[in-house]
Formats: sequence, C-alpha cells, structure tokens
Amino acid sequence: MLRIIVALFALVLFTAPADAAVKVVATLPWIGSLAKEIGKDRVTVTTLVKTSQDPHSIEARPSMIAAVRRADLLIYNGLDLEVGYLPILMESARNPAINPGNAGNLNCSVYVDPLEKPATASRENGDVHPLGNPHYHLSPANIKKMAIGIGERLAKVDQANAGFYRANTARFVAQVDHKMKEWKGRKLQGKRFVAQHRFFEYLAADFGFRIVGYLEEKPGIPPSSAHIQALVSSMSGHRPDAILSTEYHDRTISGFVSSKTGVKSVIVPHDVGANGSRDWFSLMDSVIKSLE
Amino acid sequence: MRISIVVALFAVTLSPLSAMADTVELRLKKLEEAVLRQAEIIDRQQKTIEEMKLMLENGKTAEVRTSVDSSAKNSGFFGGSLMNNPYISLILDAKAQVSNLKNSALEGRGIPGFTSEGSGLRNGFNVDAAELLIFAPVDPYFNLYTNIPVNGDGAVLEEAYFVTTSLPQGFQLKGGRFKSNASRLNSQHPHAWDFAELPLAYRSFLGPEALGGENGVQLTWMPSLPVYTLLGVEALQGANPLLFGDDSNWGPHAFSAFARLSFDTGEESTLYLSPWAMFGKTRTSAVLAADETTGNSFDLRGDSRLYGLEAVWKWNSGPHKLSLQGEYLYLDQRGDLGETDPAGAMVKIEPLKRHQGGAYLQAAYHFNRFGVGARYDRMEIFADTFERSGAKQSFGGKPWRISAMTEYDFTEFSRIRAQFNHDRSDRDNRVNNEGILQLTFTIGAHGAHPF
Repeated sequence: MLRIIVALFALVLFTAPADAAVKVVATLPWIGSLAKEIGKDRVTVTTLVKTSQDPHSIEARPSMIAAVRRADLLIYNGLDLEVGYLPILMESARNPAINPGNAGNLNCSVYVDPLEKPATASRENGDVHPLGNPHYHLSPANIKKMAIGIGERLAKVDQANAGFYRANTARFVAQVDHKMKEWKGRKLQGKRFVAQHRFFEYLAADFGFRIVGYLEEKPGIPPSSAHIQALVSSMSGHRPDAILSTEYHDRTISGFVSSKTGVKSVIVPHDVGANGSRDWFSLMDSVIKSLE
Repeated sequence: MRISIVVALFAVTLSPLSAMADTVELRLKKLEEAVLRQAEIIDRQQKTIEEMKLMLENGKTAEVRTSVDSSAKNSGFFGGSLMNNPYISLILDAKAQVSNLKNSALEGRGIPGFTSEGSGLRNGFNVDAAELLIFAPVDPYFNLYTNIPVNGDGAVLEEAYFVTTSLPQGFQLKGGRFKSNASRLNSQHPHAWDFAELPLAYRSFLGPEALGGENGVQLTWMPSLPVYTLLGVEALQGANPLLFGDDSNWGPHAFSAFARLSFDTGEESTLYLSPWAMFGKTRTSAVLAADETTGNSFDLRGDSRLYGLEAVWKWNSGPHKLSLQGEYLYLDQRGDLGETDPAGAMVKIEPLKRHQGGAYLQAAYHFNRFGVGARYDRMEIFADTFERSGAKQSFGGKPWRISAMTEYDFTEFSRIRAQFNHDRSDRDNRVNNEGILQLTFTIGAHGAHPF
C-alpha cells in the first residue's frame, strides 16, 4: 500500500506540467469550439459532452472529475442546463480555481438576456428551466457576446497572452458580422415552424421566424396523445413550413405528426459536430440551410 | 413642418385681433410646443440607437454586462439557480412488501453465523423515513450538508458535515457526522440504490443500513492525474452496532482507508475500481442470536478488519444504459465471546475467530425510462471459518439470494420499482420469497448523484 502511495506521489511530482497552455474544460461542443477559436494553440480544450448526447441527460463520469480537477478554466452554458452533472463535478473536483466566483469559473449565460423566463417554476410543468431558455447558442447576437466573454476571461486567467486572445476575439466577432450579412439574405423571415423542444427561440428572434407550436406539451415529458391530436388538427389548418427536431430527440413523434399532416420533418444540427460541422460557423451554415 | 407652423403662426399674429383669433393662437402655440417636444424625443432615441450600434460593434455590450453582478445567474455549487441559502429537498421512499413469512418470522430472521439482525421490512406498507436534506455553501471555504430522516419515531440526525472547498493540491477535509465514503454503496442514500435493499454481504457485516452515519473526520486527496484517482482515510467514532459498537471508555475506535480509480474504456463506457478497508474495535451483541434452548445471549469484544473490493462498469449510449457491478467483502475478526444467561450472569468467555467473505454481482439495463436488473448474492464463497474456542462452527448451507427488479422513471424525480427476492440467507431454515413495491419521490433542490 505504502509503496503504491509513494509511487503515486512520485508520478504526480515528476509529471508536473511543463507545458504552459491554459487547460480549458468546456461542457458543450460549441463552448469548446469557441474556446479553441479564441485560445488557439495557447489553450488545451477538453469537452465533456459529445455532440451525439442529449445535453439534458448527461451523467457525471469520474473521468470528467479528473478533467475538472486539472482545469485552469471551466466554461459552461449555465441557466441550469448542466444542473444534472456540473454541480457534482465542481463539488468533487477539489479545484479551488474553478469554484463559483473565481476567475476559473465562467458561466456563459451571464452575457445573455434569457428568453421565456417563467413567472413560476414548478416541476408539475415538466423540466422547466426557472432561469429561462438555456439554448441560446444558435444566435449570432449571443455568440458575439460569448466570444467577448470567453476572450476577456482567457485574458484574465492568462494575462501574458491577453493581447493574443483579444485579437482573436475581435477577428471572431468581425467574422460573425460578415457571415450575418450573408445569413440575413436567406429567406427565413416570416417562416413558421413547429418544434419538438424549446430549442430554436433565440434563433427565431435573430432571424424573424416564428415557432407556432411544440411537439412536447411540457418540456422533457413525453406528450399526451390528446396533445398530438390537437397539434395535428391545428397544423393541418395553418400548415407550418416544417417540424424541427434534433438528432438526439426521439423521432417517432415527429415522424408520426409529419405523416399525418404532410408537413416535412427537419433534423436541425444542434451543436458543433452535428452534420459534420467543424466549428460554430459551419454549424450555423447548416442550421440555416436546414431551415430554408 | 416646423416652418409651416411658424408661417401659420405669423399669419395668425397679423390677422385682426379678436376673441376667436386669440384662442386659435393659443391652440397653435400649444401644438407647436408639443411638436417640438416630440422632435426632441425622436432625436434622443435616434442618438441611443446609434450609441447602441456603436457599442455592439465594439463589443461593449458584453463588457458592460460583465460588470453587472453575475451572482444572480450563477449556477454554482449544487446547481442552485438563485441565491437560495440553504437548499432544501425532501425524499420519500415508500415500500409495500409481501412475503410468505409472517412479520414475527421476518423480524428475527438474521443470517446465521453473521448477524442476528433482520432486514427491517414488514409485510404490508413500509415508510422507512422521509429524508430531509438541507445543504448550502457556508462561505467560500466550506459547504455544509445535513440529512435528517424523519419517521413516526421522530427525526434523526443521520448526517451533518462540512466539506472544505478551497484546500490546495486536491485535498479535502470532511468532518461532523457522515456516511463513510470508504465503500461507495455505504455512502449512497437508500433512494439511490439500484435495488430496494443492500446486498447480503453488507447486511451480514454492517447491518441493513450499512455503516450509517458516523461521527468523525475524513481526509481525501485527488492527485492531478489524467486518470481519476482518489485516496482517503477516515477516523470514526465507531457506533455501528454490528461491526464496531459504542465504546464507553475511549474515543474514535473505527478507521478506514480507501482508493478509487476510474477511467473510460471507450467514448461511452467507464470502469471504476475501488479497494477499501475498515478496521477497529468491536463491541457487539448482534453477531449471534440468543440460544433458543438456554436463552443465553452473546456479546463480542475484539478487533475487526473488513476489506472490500468493488468493480463497476457502465455503458451509456443515448437511450441505452447498461451497468455491471460486483463487490467482494471479507471480514477478519477475533475477540472474546461472552455468554450471559437470561438473568444477566456471565456463563463463560471463549475466544472467537472468524474469517468470512461474501459477494454480489448485479446487472442493470435501462432503455429511456424503463429499467430491468438482476442481482445474485452469496456468502462463504471461499473456505470461511467461524471458530469458537478453536472449534469450527457449522451453521448449515451457504446463504444466498437472487433478486430481480423492474423500474420505471416517470421523470428523474419520481420512480416506481417492483422487486422480487428469492432469499435463502437463513441457510437451512425457511426460504423468504418476497415482493417489494417501491415508490421514490424527490422534491426541492436535490442535486445529481455521484457515479
């Protein structure tokens, strides 16, 4: 036993980090992608959630604790999206640097004006997010603020490279503005969609389309057949442009509603990595293409 | 617009004075003032819009927002949303049990050679307790957790402990009253177990509620390694009535040491390994049941060492979840067994030595909200011994049990579970075939469960 402990001590001492890159742990793929975009070779990024996973139902794994234990900066979505695993990671990681309130803890949602903040938050209404809709990343307006927030925080954690991070942030923001001109030209204005989950509200606000109904009656709760019947009959009347869902959602309901109404069902890529997207820009390109 | 008003005004002043013209002049003047005010407002709004545009271009909005107090939106420890101090949650664990044995038979149904304690379940409705959890950060240096099960007999302080949050180098200190983390299963709350009750090996060596809340301190260390590694030691008062027992003379007399290792065996799977040990002074009367013919009862005073080795493998792929889990427990205990007659007089004292082991293996599969699982429990796998005065004791056939369960999670806050046990832990005595229906509800700020 003693020998094992001594060996472990030695391992820790001799593998002390020689590499000075800022160790960033990001919860979601788009956050990891953004951190990499701004930090480039001055950061190493570990992303906890895979694109194929439903961000609402992630289970904390010990390997995640090990990653957070070594992190210089923990960046997360906030608005309680990670409530199922992130608090336990923070509690278990024994890393004061990433504790709430310290520079190594960045909750991206502080830069967002949340939509759909409920007046009352009761679980009888399903998996409601009491702080507002947490899916704000598919919004050019928000992503610029995220980039600036992440850039400024990297500059604070790693002051020697502050200028580098700020320059990359400025470049990123300029690119968003440039792409926005192109995206604004696409004809999304005035479109009407039915969505599986409350996932596209910020995007709708940015691009002027409307979400006119939801497959989920209550967030995170399987819809009742009465709700689906009512939805099918109302959709047959007002004929929305498409039914929107994401790859991690169960597609049986959207398929059923689509076959009953003839309204096409569209899988919208939900995060970086979906549809082969490499970064947030290519993600948005394919999101907008899927909505056209 | 403004010019035309001025012209009109001019015309009015030039016109002959009359009461009629006077009121027109007044009205026009008021109108002019109103138009000027509106023009001013439009001017101001235009300015604000331009300023906002400028700010957005320079990315000032985010910087301005950075300076806004962000604590109101911090998810922080426990995933709390707003500044709620403390967080409160309540967990109800209600069971209905049906067995082929009468309550009187269930109550005294121990595991011969291991423990005289029953499982605690009775035919019909059982509500062990409603667990009241209250927890919050104390300050930037400590978190405080309490767990107060409330039942018909009153409230118990099962756990109340602080945990440090700001020690450097991956160290953490925990103190107060807590469930030992030496064994993972021991530290889990009953509602988090995969089956309605603990494995036989735990009941045999630690009792139906495992070690339970113990007063003490714990030091753990998580080195900065690519592989999850946690090392810990504990000093505990040792109140558990089966393995340790209250000591009227001395302070802490139970200790533990444990290591936890875990790494991912793929994108979607994780392996977890944990060797652990508990050792200390024992003073118990729960090992052997009273002799049926003489009515004599038995007390044990001695030293115990309990070792455990746990392995868990979990695979989690979208709606599919599979977990395989097994653990081996081994007890090395020696001491003096005192025999007392019903009148309270000491009959004799003889040396007792036992080396016993037990294990369980379980598998659970979940698809979306549905789950099924099976568990096999077995004691005395290897050459176990129970010696009184150097003579080996035999208690009959080896205790074993097989369980199957199916469960449905309505949401992550409510669950119904049906479990069946074929229980031969009473060796050659009667078999216990029991069905358990378990309902678990959680309200309030209850956070996530650890691995």
